[in-house]
Amino acid sequence: MELRCVLDNVQGLVDSLSAVRWKKQQDAICEVSEHGLVIIVEEWGCLQARVYYRKELFVSYEYSAESRPRFGVSLGLLVDTLSTFSSTGTTGLELSYPGSDMQLLLKLTDADNTCIYAEIRTKVTDTVPKEYSVDGDGGRRAVFAVKSAALKEAIDDLEWPGSSISITISPDPAGVILRGEGHHGDLQIDFPYDAHNELFAAFQCQSEVSYSYKYKFLRATTANVPNSVTKDNRGSKLTIGAGGLLKVQHLISLRQAQQHNMDPNPTQQGRVSYVEFYLMPDEEA
Amino acid sequence: MECTLSGNAVKGLHRAVACLARVGPELLLEALPDKVTLRSLNSARSAFVAITFRRHFFDRLQLSSSSAQCGVLLKAVCTVLRTQPGSVERMAITLPDSNASKLKWTIDCLNGMLKTYWISCNNDIEMQHVAIERNIFPSNLVARPRDFSRLLANFQSSLQEITLIATEPFLAPTESEGKAVELRSYIDPVKENNDGALHTQLWIDPAEELRDYHHTGVAVDVTFSVKELKAFMNFCEGSEADMQLFFDKAGSPILLAPKFSVDDAANADFDATLVLATMLGSQLRSSDSASDRAPTDAQPAQGAPQAGYTTPKNAANKETAGTGSGPRSDHTVIWSELSVVNADERSAQQLFGKDLSNWIAADTDEESDGDGFCVQATPPHRRG
Repeated sequence: MELRCVLDNVQGLVDSLSAVRWKKQQDAICEVSEHGLVIIVEEWGCLQARVYYRKELFVSYEYSAESRPRFGVSLGLLVDTLSTFSSTGTTGLELSYPGSDMQLLLKLTDADNTCIYAEIRTKVTDTVPKEYSVDGDGGRRAVFAVKSAALKEAIDDLEWPGSSISITISPDPAGVILRGEGHHGDLQIDFPYDAHNELFAAFQCQSEVSYSYKYKFLRATTANVPNSVTKDNRGSKLTIGAGGLLKVQHLISLRQAQQHNMDPNPTQQGRVSYVEFYLMPDEEA
Repeated sequence: MECTLSGNAVKGLHRAVACLARVGPELLLEALPDKVTLRSLNSARSAFVAITFRRHFFDRLQLSSSSAQCGVLLKAVCTVLRTQPGSVERMAITLPDSNASKLKWTIDCLNGMLKTYWISCNNDIEMQHVAIERNIFPSNLVARPRDFSRLLANFQSSLQEITLIATEPFLAPTESEGKAVELRSYIDPVKENNDGALHTQLWIDPAEELRDYHHTGVAVDVTFSVKELKAFMNFCEGSEADMQLFFDKAGSPILLAPKFSVDDAANADFDATLVLATMLGSQLRSSDSASDRAPTDAQPAQGAPQAGYTTPKNAANKETAGTGSGPRSDHTVIWSELSVVNADERSAQQLFGKDLSNWIAADTDEESDGDGFCVQATPPHRRG
């Protein structure tokens, strides 16, 4: 076994993986390392999503491989399998790779010790997912963080106008403006940055940046985040980097199976998984 | 033109738009210095609704000219109002000038977001302003929307038109327990798939079911669309007002309006009117033409359960007595037939001039007559 890891509550993994399901048929690439798991889904050249599951989130994480395994797996199949019996919220998962035929092996254990065994066929992948980065451009990037629910509401509203949405982050007046124009009409949503309101968790912008993105991809970054996560109101962080690359990052809290271990500040304890989306700007806009 | 509103007024506007959206496809907005009116007309031009907000409904109402007007798609307005009223701090509607191509709505949300919509205007909307004085109607009734909803629940939910039959209420209850008002499902015989249609008749005592009722003289009936009625009922209920229905006779339009209690009326900051066209032919008298008959007095009999159900088969094949009238008269005759004393004497000639008397619930006894009517005859009700 190159990897055998145990999660006490599979619900968090289901939530994170659901957030990156924007199409019925998606192949995910899974990269395993000594640091944890990364699952990558991509619409080549337009949108890429990554789910990071660090090894600290697992109850146990045994990794013994010479080179980092990378394999492809159907995302829909994986999420559906994991969520089949996780409705109780206390289902544990033991994940192993590879099986005798390079399968992904799953053992889901319910609170009353009902076990489900599943094997999912994996595929060999040649494609190496592109490594996107919004950092390191010496200042010409803008970052802000808002409540996930507000961001989702704004993007849902922007369905009405049109196919291309412009995002403008400016220092003066400080704030973010999302705008869409269509033949029914136009919609502009302003997020004014005001130290007094609780809309922003962070805002950093030195000079104005403005780019347009295709609505369907922008929508993919928030539409499938589970309601339990948006209600949680953990911030979503957006960064526009060089050339207009947009990074949307959500934090998904992982609830623990044992109720007595209520942690008010999960970030400190590392009980958070990261979901990141990378969008290329809309060239046609 | 610019107006701003907040608090409960936002809910009021949501309710109004929801009602208009169930009537017609377009909204005509007209602003005058002392009020703003929203109007909509349905595509069949048989329903017209107007909701007026007085000046003090708004936080601010400002016009640069004597009036401002524009037409927009109701679907677009509904999209604007998707933001829940509870999360709205303030809303503003702006029309730069009457030739403006876009109507601007700004929504200040409680969480700090500011949403600005620009909706394309269609200034070619021709909408008739239907203005009818309420006091020309001889009859009216007032109902609590919830109660009326309950009465309508007895009817098939897919029912499209309904007939209201109003008679003069008996003054002496002991004489007979007259239920002066009847609601009756209207099934259009012209339509194709009526076989499974549920026919319903509901007699109600205005004293029990209605808040108020005024009708004198001969019985009248009006047949109108249910869809807009329900939309207006919801509007009245949400606005915490009773609903008043003014009517005259078959073919004349009916008018509905909210009725406020004496205390509320003074403070009411809005008013609304729904005008519905009614079908030309009367359900009570076998149509119009050619008849020397005296109009029948509808005095529904008693002791019967309040709702009657039947599914007359072969309805379309029944003969109509020399009416030579339009498509619907078959139907009128059917009901009259059912009220014939002796179920055997189903000859159409005998109907007219008789009282529309006893009619009780369908009897599913298989031994009844083979031509599809499962009705038990009862001795005629004799007056006096």
